[in-house]
Amino acid sequence: MAARLAGGTALAMLGLAGLAGAAAAEPLKVAIIEPMSGPDAATGELYVTAARYGLEEINRGGGFNGESIEILLYDNGGTAAGTVDKFKQAVADGVRVIFQGSSSAAAGQLTADVRKHNLRNPDSRLLYINDGGAALDLTGDKCHFYHFRFQAPAPMLVGPLVEAMSEAGELGTKVYSINQNYSWGRDMETAIRERAGNGGYEVVEATLHDVAKIQDFAPYVARIKAAEPDTVLTGNWSNDLLLLMKATGEAGLDVRFGTAFLDQPGNIANAGETALGHYLASTYNLAAGSEAFPEDYKARTGHYPVYLEPRVVIATRAFGKALEAVEGTGEGIDVTAIALALEEVTLETEMGPVTIRKEDHQAVMPIVVSRVERGAAYPVDGTDMGFAPVKTIPGPEAVYPVQESCEMQRPG
Amino acid sequence: MLMEFLVVSVLNGAIYGMLLFMVSAGLTLIFGMMGVLNFAHASFYMLGAYIAYTLSSLGHFWLGLLLAPVLVGLLGVVVERFLLRRVHAFGHAHELLLTFGLAFIFEELVKLFYGNFPVDYRMPEELRFTAFTVFGTDYPFYRLFIGGTAIAMFALLYLLLSRTRVGLVVRAAERLPQTAEALGHNVPLVFMGVFGTGAALAGLAGGVAGAFFPTSPNMALELGVIVFVVVVVGGLGSLEGSLLASLLIGLFSSFAVGLDWSLAGALDIVGLGEWARGVGGLMTTTVSSIAGSVPFLLMLVVLLLRPAGLMGERS
Repeated sequence: MAARLAGGTALAMLGLAGLAGAAAAEPLKVAIIEPMSGPDAATGELYVTAARYGLEEINRGGGFNGESIEILLYDNGGTAAGTVDKFKQAVADGVRVIFQGSSSAAAGQLTADVRKHNLRNPDSRLLYINDGGAALDLTGDKCHFYHFRFQAPAPMLVGPLVEAMSEAGELGTKVYSINQNYSWGRDMETAIRERAGNGGYEVVEATLHDVAKIQDFAPYVARIKAAEPDTVLTGNWSNDLLLLMKATGEAGLDVRFGTAFLDQPGNIANAGETALGHYLASTYNLAAGSEAFPEDYKARTGHYPVYLEPRVVIATRAFGKALEAVEGTGEGIDVTAIALALEEVTLETEMGPVTIRKEDHQAVMPIVVSRVERGAAYPVDGTDMGFAPVKTIPGPEAVYPVQESCEMQRPG
Repeated sequence: MLMEFLVVSVLNGAIYGMLLFMVSAGLTLIFGMMGVLNFAHASFYMLGAYIAYTLSSLGHFWLGLLLAPVLVGLLGVVVERFLLRRVHAFGHAHELLLTFGLAFIFEELVKLFYGNFPVDYRMPEELRFTAFTVFGTDYPFYRLFIGGTAIAMFALLYLLLSRTRVGLVVRAAERLPQTAEALGHNVPLVFMGVFGTGAALAGLAGGVAGAFFPTSPNMALELGVIVFVVVVVGGLGSLEGSLLASLLIGLFSSFAVGLDWSLAGALDIVGLGEWARGVGGLMTTTVSSIAGSVPFLLMLVVLLLRPAGLMGERS
């Protein structure tokens, strides 16, 4: 009887010790806040898939402090209001790191919420990894120490795009700028105008139009035709890009497009041959790297990484390197230490090294310019067309100057 | 130059207007005849496009155009018979909520089967040619095809409602349902037929337009609001009003794109242009940058001046 009692006590002690151990090395909770329903669910799905792939990769490598990272998914419906709700829920769930990217509006909301939370709760600060929000003010006016951006804003794409197109002799001297009338489209228009001098072209006309409201782009094509450009540069995405390109093709207008979002799934299939010869500036191109990453991605998610997915994986890998750097300090979870480590990370990718600019936490990423061609490696959308790499511009050359409006308060 | 602008804008605007009419004709019918605010109408349009896409990917484009209205019409009949009729007695709010819910269900179903991204629904090669060239711009034949379908649709509906016995009964059932019923007409059957026809028209519109515009789960959302604008501007239940409103919206949108007028430009006439440009903001917003909002401005003006709509009878 006594022996049994002793055994029971020992078991209980073991249990307690186990609990204590768990408390010491609590798992790091990472939230992915993206639209999984509503009109933006298509993009949200890709962000979630890629972020999960990247975070699970960290877990396969041993996680953080000997525990697997706990991944929590939140559906913000694609709106700023939904993001506020899910942010609160994530905080209540004990999340310490947030990955988000599918909309600049949601990103603007989230970065402000994170900044305020960190001011009010210095003991449980949060880290926000923005893997998609491209609005310039996220690293300008709204910049703060706990926000990192792994996305190329307008000037970072336009520069490489016109450089590569002009070197290939396909830019011409007359450029038409057509963009969506909100922060991103305006950033693009400004970048296109600013590059005109160095890029050796003239902006013959610039148009802004409503976002995702125009069904018939024929009137815009009439305007483009009247201006007689050699190239149309546009930051349009989704239907606004697809409809514009189709309407141009159908009108028999012979212009090149320089774009930022042509690789969005469905675009090439829908546009068909109209898309051939158009250019894209992006942060990754599978055809420019080895087979290892795409094949592993396909084995785990069911498809080759497309569109924004490789970029999100770059973000998670940089984050993983930062975790490695702070691991074993025995301090539990200290996001300030993680953020400081992330600033020092140099991630070697197959496009080139990725680093973080300390002044505004913009990732200095290489930009790949590619051209839609038949028979390219990794054809998209079930067609025989794909993105053939034309030129890779290293991060330091592509990146834009730090904005004066960014006044970052560093910790300590 | 001016001539080119006028001709091209009229051509583009008229065809876009025809497309809007095609989608909203069914809604006018349902809204005007039955008083049902059918929020799922644009979803019928989307379903039509997906049905036509499915058949066209099997190599039967024309069969798709034929089956899209038939199947969507049948779905409309089922929705009316088994869902709408049950909530009819509880008033408009219930009907509205029901169709609102249906719109969500249809959208999610489409996402479930066809994925989130636009599908590859394109017109067959034999329709992909240039009809004519105007001022050096190719004018695709398919745009004329859209316009032609819309005109045929209008003519058929108009004749059906105004010249046939069926039309007589439908109009009677709408105006004085009890009297029509007392005279031996099956009013619920008439309503079911009207709803089915309205849905079928949307299905046909989807089949035709889906090949020109991207067929995606968001297409219902994109056209959903504008078709209501058409119906309100045109006047509830007025087919001619819908046609007129569609054309107006199409033309206004098309012309607005080409116009760089702004308040600052207007103030130049009285010498205040420089000051206005200094103020910026609304003063320098060009008409072209708000072209997408033109339909809503038009609706505002019409509602202020003629609350019953352009050709509406009731106010």
